[in-house]
Amino acid sequence: MNDSHSLELFDVSKRYGTHIALDGVSLEVPQGSIFGLLGPNGAGKTTLIRMVAGITGPDQGSISYFGQPMSSEHVSSLGYLPEERGLYKNMRVGEQAMYFARLRGMGKKEAERELVDWFDRLEVNGWWDKEVADLSKGMAQKIQFIVAVLHKPKFLILDEPLSGFDPINASRIRAEINRLRDEFGTTILLSTHDMSSVDELCDHVALINNGKKILEGPVSSLREKARAGRIELKFRGNLIGFTAALGAGAVLHEASSLGDNMHDVVLGLPPSIPIEKFLKWATSEVDVLSCTPKSVSMDEVFLHAVQAVSNTVSS
Amino acid sequence: MNRWLIVLGREYKTRVRKRAFIISTLLGPLLMVGVIAAIVFIGLSSTEMNSKVLIVDHNKILTYSMPGEGDILLPSCPECFPERRFLEYRFSSNALDTESFLESEFTAMVELDDGIMQSAKALLKYESAAPMKVQSAVKRDLGEAIERLRVKSESTLDYDTYKKLKVRIGLVTQNIVTEDRNVENKSAIGFVFSVFMFMFIMIYGMHVMRGVIEEKSNRIVEVVISVVKPEHLMGAKIVGIGLVGLTQIAVWSLLSWLLFLGFGVYAETSGMLIDLMGEQGSQVASTDFMTFIQSNEKLGVLLQVNWGMMLGWCAFFYLAGFALYASLFAAIGAAVEQESDAQYLLMPAMIPLMFSYVVNVFIIESPDSMLATFCSFFPFTSPITMMVKLSVGVPWWHVAISAIVLILTVLLMVKLAGKIYRTGILMYGKKPSLREMARWLMYKNS
Repeated sequence: MNDSHSLELFDVSKRYGTHIALDGVSLEVPQGSIFGLLGPNGAGKTTLIRMVAGITGPDQGSISYFGQPMSSEHVSSLGYLPEERGLYKNMRVGEQAMYFARLRGMGKKEAERELVDWFDRLEVNGWWDKEVADLSKGMAQKIQFIVAVLHKPKFLILDEPLSGFDPINASRIRAEINRLRDEFGTTILLSTHDMSSVDELCDHVALINNGKKILEGPVSSLREKARAGRIELKFRGNLIGFTAALGAGAVLHEASSLGDNMHDVVLGLPPSIPIEKFLKWATSEVDVLSCTPKSVSMDEVFLHAVQAVSNTVSS
Repeated sequence: MNRWLIVLGREYKTRVRKRAFIISTLLGPLLMVGVIAAIVFIGLSSTEMNSKVLIVDHNKILTYSMPGEGDILLPSCPECFPERRFLEYRFSSNALDTESFLESEFTAMVELDDGIMQSAKALLKYESAAPMKVQSAVKRDLGEAIERLRVKSESTLDYDTYKKLKVRIGLVTQNIVTEDRNVENKSAIGFVFSVFMFMFIMIYGMHVMRGVIEEKSNRIVEVVISVVKPEHLMGAKIVGIGLVGLTQIAVWSLLSWLLFLGFGVYAETSGMLIDLMGEQGSQVASTDFMTFIQSNEKLGVLLQVNWGMMLGWCAFFYLAGFALYASLFAAIGAAVEQESDAQYLLMPAMIPLMFSYVVNVFIIESPDSMLATFCSFFPFTSPITMMVKLSVGVPWWHVAISAIVLILTVLLMVKLAGKIYRTGILMYGKKPSLREMARWLMYKNS
């Protein structure tokens, strides 16, 4: 057991009837990180989230929460924003937020103070006595977000937190998520399909598919791994001559013309050739304009990983 | 504060402060009393109309001629034909023919023939049927006049002495075992209780189902059950909403009682009571409302019912019956995603409730029949049937069995419903079949 982990799953499985929702998944969520949980629909993300949120338990394996076996006593230090969330229609905004705050174990005074603060921060002042039925979708989303974080949870589960927000409010919520981690050290488990928010928010990610974990690690190292030594080179000169001169030393992955005899190529270098040596050679061949490590989006990282898994399955 | 209580508090508070609840709770008894008052008022006002009745006495049995006035007769016994607000008599020795009767001011014409002293029958002719009140007044008045005549001709007693000797028998029915009296009228009161029981179980059971569906369809349930166990959430919801119903029952009972007392005071002070007594020919001359109720053949039963016992058992059977059906409805709500999908599951669940409501009509006729006994033991019908049985009196062990069977069934049902609820509440995207729901019962706790 590692003290620096907020949450650890050991070989967790869950089945519903004959359907295996999770199959021997192990995960480690570092304390104070924003951990992206990714995967296609039906991969088992919701099942995993529900287990962490304390809604269901695993059939097999165990879950540890800040070094202790997960139990019902942890609910007050946990925040949960489910996907496709809603609010009670027959309650007013303030009273509803108070209800959830008290369910999480907050006192009345404390909850009220925090609410006023959050209403201020997300610019929803004056909504206290609003009927929920009068709220727009975006407004309701903000209230739901506040309800999930109000009690300053140590561990926060956000399922698609940015869906339904306009770009301005999405960036505001994104800033709040970052602030929760930076100011309060909150660990955040973030499930999403939106890769751009993974790129912007997450420190760590895990990818699950068909109930199995197929990838896990810090975003930077996953990117580095997916880059697989590829570099992007822009130069002025003869593309055909350059390619011929490359020989067996490096692999040409992509090439595009930038006009005016300028070209943009992506090359895969074998580990035996250090980048300095390659650059020395290249400048002797062509007029090199720039040379950078190939940037890999998380989209590519996951497409690549999912394809790799399905390839091994089919072969 | 216990989380369970926080949930319960929300379920209760958000409902009792709703405008619709407040209005129906406050206006319910007023509306009921209003309807009853309207019926009484319409009944009274139809006799407000002045009826003129012509008594045709060919042989002057009950009348004598006014000297020098030929056709016009006067009753030999004027006190037998008193002046009434709604009835006036005229006497004549000749009947009117149809045409002149239709043109006349008379509502009815009664022809006495020679045989009336023996047959005690007379013919009442009318164009449009005379009100019941008028008919019974005519019957009573004629009867007394003839009685007077008979007494005079056949006994040495004077009429007033005879009147004192005369006895009128009223039957008070009594069950030999339970010693309960006036079962027929009391069972009507039990019937009213059972109608309310049906109504409350139905209305608040639906509240539970709708509440469950709301929480499921907007995913609030996920947030709540990450804090409270699903079974506890279901329990808090059922108890919270059950208490809303109980609140309404309590307020209705209290308001009805106050209205009853208020009406009594009004009746006493406004002189309405004296009018009422006069009209029903009551022998008891009292201006006390309770005495009036007690002496009234129909209303007297109101004071013979043990209201404390009835209301106490009503509360018990309501809570237990409600818990039984509400947990069933909660399980149904958890299995579906919207109300319209619940119909096919609701039907079988509601059949016993409907059944007990419908057979009640037979049960008030014979509260001791086999059907009644079965229905009062069977837990899905007992809350409703028992109301009728309790009102007419039922052995204590009978109530005990019914209550115990009901409580055990409630415990079992809550457990089973909790299992279906726990699984259903997190299941989206498909309408489960009954077989699938049965399979959920096998899932282990997690």
